[in-house]
Amino acid sequence: MGEEKSSRPRINLIKAHIDAISAALRRMTKPPMTLMFPDYEEAWPEGYRGFILYDYDTCIGCSLCAQICPARAIKMYRVPGDKRIRPGYNVGRCIFCGLCVDICPVDALSYSYVHDEVYSEVNPMNMDPIDWALWSKRIKEKEKSAKPKLKPVIDEDIGLRYEVTKNVEGEE
Amino acid sequence: MVLEQLATQIGLPEWLLRGVLAPLVYPGLGAFAAVALFIIWAERKIAAKVQMRVGPLYVSRHLGGALQLLADGIRIAFQEIIIPVTVERKAYVAAPIFAFAIIAASLAVIPGGPGVYGFSSSVSLLVPFALLGLIPIVIAVMGWASNNKFTYIGAGREILVTVAGEVTLLASLLATAMMYGSLDINEIVTMQIEAGIPGIVVNPIAAFLFFVAALLMTDRIPFDVVLGEQEIVQGPYTEYTGLLFVLNMALDYGKLYALMLLFSDLFLGGWMPFNGVLLGSLAVFIKTLVLMLIAIFLRSVYGRMRIDQIASMFWSRLFPLALVSLVVSAVVHIVYTP
Repeated sequence: MGEEKSSRPRINLIKAHIDAISAALRRMTKPPMTLMFPDYEEAWPEGYRGFILYDYDTCIGCSLCAQICPARAIKMYRVPGDKRIRPGYNVGRCIFCGLCVDICPVDALSYSYVHDEVYSEVNPMNMDPIDWALWSKRIKEKEKSAKPKLKPVIDEDIGLRYEVTKNVEGEE
Repeated sequence: MVLEQLATQIGLPEWLLRGVLAPLVYPGLGAFAAVALFIIWAERKIAAKVQMRVGPLYVSRHLGGALQLLADGIRIAFQEIIIPVTVERKAYVAAPIFAFAIIAASLAVIPGGPGVYGFSSSVSLLVPFALLGLIPIVIAVMGWASNNKFTYIGAGREILVTVAGEVTLLASLLATAMMYGSLDINEIVTMQIEAGIPGIVVNPIAAFLFFVAALLMTDRIPFDVVLGEQEIVQGPYTEYTGLLFVLNMALDYGKLYALMLLFSDLFLGGWMPFNGVLLGSLAVFIKTLVLMLIAIFLRSVYGRMRIDQIASMFWSRLFPLALVSLVVSAVVHIVYTP
């Protein structure tokens, strides 16, 4: 046992207990600041970079995207029955930097707002050009059928609040 | 009385019917199961409300997720009970069942309404205390039989904490007994009703001490060193799975239920505003439920105390206070006894 006595500031015990309990009671009256996720989603900011989408018909097969890709997520493939080489996409390697979208001369690549997909295996994440084109269509449909969007707002009273945004697609 | 009529109809002796119905239906395990389902949901919901979250919601959305616990219970009931190779098999399996049986037995003496009790005796106040005092021993057996360092530490803490808590609990019980000059719970309640003053008004110190000691004995949050999730997983219950784990989890809620039932009998006047069997039982039940809600609300207010802080608080602050409550009781007894 040490002999030294620590000098703590004196506090009024009863007042401290009452303060703690009343603080908890006060917070019980306030609304929760939860984003009810599967039913509502957070609004995307402008220029959000999600999965890269690919348009097979616009692509000219220049392979610039595969050259610029820093993560080597995009590789060029030969498609049977097609003269041009075409890019394939590995979702597992993609770092969502968006350089391929910037460099594409014909805008065959574009951003999506989605980046939550679940894979139970590794192989389906590596897509060849035709798979990528089909997958892009599916992601686009998923974007269209998205849930209502909410925007976080800093609130003086409760800290955080979610507001319905006005620029929701298809709701204006 | 209702029970007597029922006994004559079936043809069983009344004491047998009482002895079976009280620990198993009301105020025993049947009522406790309903209370536990509600209280654990309320605990999660209240903690969520204080932390400005939503809490359980998706199971039965219209009821605010009230059936979440039922869903968890069903899942856990079908879970495999894994018995590790290193445990002492018989003690490991028997300990939780034994501990739970002790709680059911202690509920046989605590009246849940006018005439609603299993056994009545002139020392019935000491019976639940003595029975609940057996549980730490069972938990120590549990911790030893599980053969795991977390369970050893948890069992050790349980014993230390119980020694600190039981002295305070016994002192507040004795203060109440001294005040009314009786050790019979039924008699104490009738005396409160005759006087028209609940015990908490006459001796608030004893009531406060009882409540705090009950929080300690049942591992509620300011004093939950025994479970200590961040340090020792689940304390003595670490190695348990499936239904045995449910029994262990319900153990603390069962203790809380028994002690709060005792509190509402001793300090809140039992079935005070009513005299009928049904309304009186309802009054006791609601008082118990409110007390349990207060106890679980404290979870979201306080952090956990260290084990040395708990020991010094109970021995050097609350124990002298218990002596003061004994003095108060003596004065009250002298003043109010003709």
